[in-house]
Amino acid sequence: MPRHITLRVVAAAEAGPGIRRLTLQDPDGWRLPRVRPGAHLDLQVPGVGPRAYSLCGDPAEEDRWVIAVRREATSRGGSAWLHEALRPGDMVASAMPRCTFPLEEAATHHVMIAGGIGVTPFLSMAPMLERAGRSWVLHVLHRGGPPPCGDDLAPWAALGRVVLHDTLSAPRPDLATLLGPHRAGIQAYCCGPPAMLEGFAAATIAWPAGAARMEHFVPPALPPDPDARPYLLVRAATGESVEVAAGESMLAALRRMGANVDSSCEGGICGACEIRWLEGEPIHRDLVLPAARRATHLMACVAHCASARLVVEA
Amino acid sequence: MPTAPGWNGLVAHLHITPRAFLPMQGQESIALVAGEGIVGDRYRIGVEQGFYSEKPEEGRQVTLFEAEALEAIRRDYKIELLPEEHRRNITTRGVPLNWLVGQRFRIGPCLVEATRLSIPCRHIEEILGREVFNPMVHRSGLNCRILEGGTVRVGDAIRPE
Repeated sequence: MPRHITLRVVAAAEAGPGIRRLTLQDPDGWRLPRVRPGAHLDLQVPGVGPRAYSLCGDPAEEDRWVIAVRREATSRGGSAWLHEALRPGDMVASAMPRCTFPLEEAATHHVMIAGGIGVTPFLSMAPMLERAGRSWVLHVLHRGGPPPCGDDLAPWAALGRVVLHDTLSAPRPDLATLLGPHRAGIQAYCCGPPAMLEGFAAATIAWPAGAARMEHFVPPALPPDPDARPYLLVRAATGESVEVAAGESMLAALRRMGANVDSSCEGGICGACEIRWLEGEPIHRDLVLPAARRATHLMACVAHCASARLVVEA
Repeated sequence: MPTAPGWNGLVAHLHITPRAFLPMQGQESIALVAGEGIVGDRYRIGVEQGFYSEKPEEGRQVTLFEAEALEAIRRDYKIELLPEEHRRNITTRGVPLNWLVGQRFRIGPCLVEATRLSIPCRHIEEILGREVFNPMVHRSGLNCRILEGGTVRVGDAIRPE
């Protein structure tokens, strides 16, 4: 499967209640592509499609990738497969890791808030921050029992970098209190369930743009766009075009033309369907593209178009 | 038929990777197999594991890239592209690759025939996470088929046949 990265499961272990930690390597132990802390992996789940999981190993370990996955009661198939079907020695296919939740290199203090299994991207950031000598703290909110990925958190907790908040045995902490006021050099991050992200967004609403970053597990529902209009979508590579109805998915329109565009979340949070646009006026509705990249790229799953014609490279 | 002006080059770096997406790794020597490719590389015919292996190409058994092109990209675009990042197998010095399409030349003991210029691809941008497509246009290296195999080492001479 040359269009994918082929990986072998070399270890599988429990890493907290309902959480399975999988270590993946190239079949020959070859070095894997370099990843940025906060990156995620799209694994091809047989019969289901790609599913995104944050990498939680140290990015400096270049011959292995580690993910930790919670078994979801309402699994769409991904976590059930990872928990029940995959065994050490099995092969899996992944797309190139993408980072839609990057560290802010220039920040002098990093405050991270994780809800449950949302701790995973921070586990890849922690060793990078520590080696760089940065000031950082990770608050992990969990509901009773051992925390998710407790063995990975323990050394950082011993250093005082990680603070565990068991919300069954103590009142749920106020996110604004954990974050404190905005000050120069601070960067805040949050990964957790939707209610926590809403609280984080509210607590940082007055912060400068980009100073508070969020990673979503699932795409938030996008409200219908009352101003959506039809447009002509053109593939630069072939010159083919198709009429896209008002509010229709650009990704679906591209596929009608036979374009082979990857996708995963189909809700504007994972980055899988990023394509380059060349002419027209796209309306960006994703949550991951930086402003500068929007000048040349769009997320086909959620983007609309304000002009009558849009030319894309796909 | 026009011929290239006199030149005399050498092998500056050697890199292979067994599968698509994986980093290229430097080698002191590589084994070229006539009519097939490089032992351990993703585009060896019969083994294909490369990103473009779905588009079989007989003339892609070994690929070359100029060290001078890396220096030009640094000069013109301020982009530091390393020998393991251009994803060709042999980084050359002193070899006018763009002149050699259709010609035969020796790399160490091996005889190759240049089939076409390499073209840059967006795939490399996906791997590197950097915009290197435009800087690589017109200086993206050379694809060759292997006529006589053997072992190529760093420092070996590259010379017209």
